[in-house]
Amino acid sequence: MGSDRLSRRTLLAGSGGLLLAGVGNAAAQEGIFMRPEEAPRALFPDASAVTDTTVTATAELRERVRALMRRAPSYWEPAYRVFRVARHAADPGFVIVVEEIGKHRPITFAVAVDGGARVVDVAVLAYREAYGGEVRDKRFLRQYSGKTLDDPLLPYRDIRNISGATLSVEATGRAARKAIAVLRALGDLR
Amino acid sequence: MPLRAFLAWLVTIALMLDLALPISRAAAATPEELEAQLKALQQQVDALRRQIESSQAAQPPAAPVAPATPTATAPVTTVETPAPGKIERLSSIADFKLGGYGSTRFEASDLDRLNESFTFRRFVLTGDATIGGRLRGLFELELERLTELEVERTAPSEAGRRGFQQSIEGSDKSEISLEQAWVEFTLADWLKYRAGMMLVPVGRFNLNHDDNRWDLPRRSLVDRGVPVLPVTAAWSEVGMGFVGDVKTERWGTFGYQALVMNGVSLDSSIETIARGSSELETEVEIKARRGTANIDLKRDKAGALRLTWSPAPGHELGTSVYYGRYTPDFLPSEALWSVALDGKTTLGPFEVEGQYVRTHFNNIRRVARGFADAVAERAFSSGTPLDVVVEFELAGLADTKQGYWLDLRYRFFPDFLRDSLLGRGFDNPQFIVTLRGEQVWLDGLVSEIDFTNGHLTSFQQDNRHVNRVTLGFAYRPLPLVVFQTAFERTWTDRGKSLSGVTNFLPARRSEDTANTFLLGVAFGF
Repeated sequence: MGSDRLSRRTLLAGSGGLLLAGVGNAAAQEGIFMRPEEAPRALFPDASAVTDTTVTATAELRERVRALMRRAPSYWEPAYRVFRVARHAADPGFVIVVEEIGKHRPITFAVAVDGGARVVDVAVLAYREAYGGEVRDKRFLRQYSGKTLDDPLLPYRDIRNISGATLSVEATGRAARKAIAVLRALGDLR
Repeated sequence: MPLRAFLAWLVTIALMLDLALPISRAAAATPEELEAQLKALQQQVDALRRQIESSQAAQPPAAPVAPATPTATAPVTTVETPAPGKIERLSSIADFKLGGYGSTRFEASDLDRLNESFTFRRFVLTGDATIGGRLRGLFELELERLTELEVERTAPSEAGRRGFQQSIEGSDKSEISLEQAWVEFTLADWLKYRAGMMLVPVGRFNLNHDDNRWDLPRRSLVDRGVPVLPVTAAWSEVGMGFVGDVKTERWGTFGYQALVMNGVSLDSSIETIARGSSELETEVEIKARRGTANIDLKRDKAGALRLTWSPAPGHELGTSVYYGRYTPDFLPSEALWSVALDGKTTLGPFEVEGQYVRTHFNNIRRVARGFADAVAERAFSSGTPLDVVVEFELAGLADTKQGYWLDLRYRFFPDFLRDSLLGRGFDNPQFIVTLRGEQVWLDGLVSEIDFTNGHLTSFQQDNRHVNRVTLGFAYRPLPLVVFQTAFERTWTDRGKSLSGVTNFLPARRSEDTANTFLLGVAFGF
């Protein structure tokens, strides 16, 4: 009898503990998921040194970005934070922080680009919409790897859509294209 | 206390402390403190910038440099400064998002009694707020075909005698409905507690019922026109439960919704008809409706569970089950259950999406017998100047209902139209061709019941089916707006009327087929 009670208590305590341990990692769809300064090493795990630059988005720069993108972005940032990343056994890369509107609010992305103006990886730094947070998933963002400014990066064309998150998916594509366009406009990429 | 029990409690307390510490550490960095830290960092950056500007000003003016060159700003090697304006804590008020959707449709049919009509299908207002760090609230208020609702109440006086008058003016077949109003507490991605008025997670359509999400201007049969769901979509109930997602790198994303609610119940609606023959007829329709938001009509509660699996973006498979008593306490206790299987897959511009639902009402004959016993009299006359007739109808019950819809879609947009009126100014305009096939089987559909003095005297059931094929073409300039056109052919058992099995086709007794042209617009914001 005593043993029965003991095992029930152990079970309750154990499951309670597990539940609490699990909820310790709580995260909502909205939120800040990574700081900009963490992005270079997250997107370029082989980074050996990182240089951080902030570039003001002048009217002229915006005009050049718009021309390179061949369509206007949904949002103009006041400045761009650009990280130049030296790598151990590869050409240097760049990580740039850009924002694009999802449905109501801007989504903040860090886009990693290699010297050949190809997307290496994308990370969502901040997501402020109630729906569509699935664009943070690695398996979704993996689709952008290797894409260039010549790719449309649009759902149903070269990107697999996420049901109920089409606006966020389109925003991710615009962000990746804007990132390459800004780096090219700055002269970092050809 | 035995040693093992003590150890178990100790482990729990240790785990709680382990959790509490990071929380308290996090709590130590309040938004105000973070803001203060950010301000301090911003001041340092400003000071550095001023220093750089002053050193530049000290140098002879340089030739104009293209602003797009990286030399326009000096490299800063610190990695501490957040990008300006990128990361901020939004206040709850600023974080409230108001949205909505609406749709309008024109339809022309070859049914005799269905006039060509413009229908204001619905306008739905939605609000979504992050109330606090992990607390979120949402509401969805629907105005369906509602254009006016006016209530007047007066107490007129005639020849010194006081009378009372009340009138209600409203638009035809319209309703105001609170479709959703819930609060969610995120404990973890895989464990979110939700309570309030929630969509019942049976089938993918009920959860994704916004008109502007769909490329055809009419909802599916199983969800709306010949409801196989216990209640037509959008079906919501008051309850509580847990929802969540589990993301895995290898197997994709798994999701679940597990809710307990008041649940569907047979309930009455009263319709009053003033006939030309000086008869005032009151029809009491008893049918399955969403559960009350007040004290429940029955003792037992209902439960729903939905499991989803998305192996990769664009692919999803879901299965759902609902179980609960559907009779109020004054009728014999009987349960209904629904199961659904649904999915969607995307292959480039092609999409396949579908849903199968099966609903079983236990022992409806026993329920009918109990109903006869409860009501006792079928009709009566009163001594008022008008003859008053009261009729009761047990509507829409069948032993088993099952059906499916299957959509095949192809999305495209010709390049030569990108600079045309249809393409200019839009990122990703689309044309969508949709072919939808639907079938519904109603086994043991109650076609007639009669009772006298509390005894069931007649109970007739029928087996029926309804088929529909729809071919649609839609233009979607933006994901939130769609212009739709479609042709649909609906048919049922030969020689039997469509009106007995559908809730949207007022067919005559012999009209078993309907051909309809639809033109619709749906928008969201």
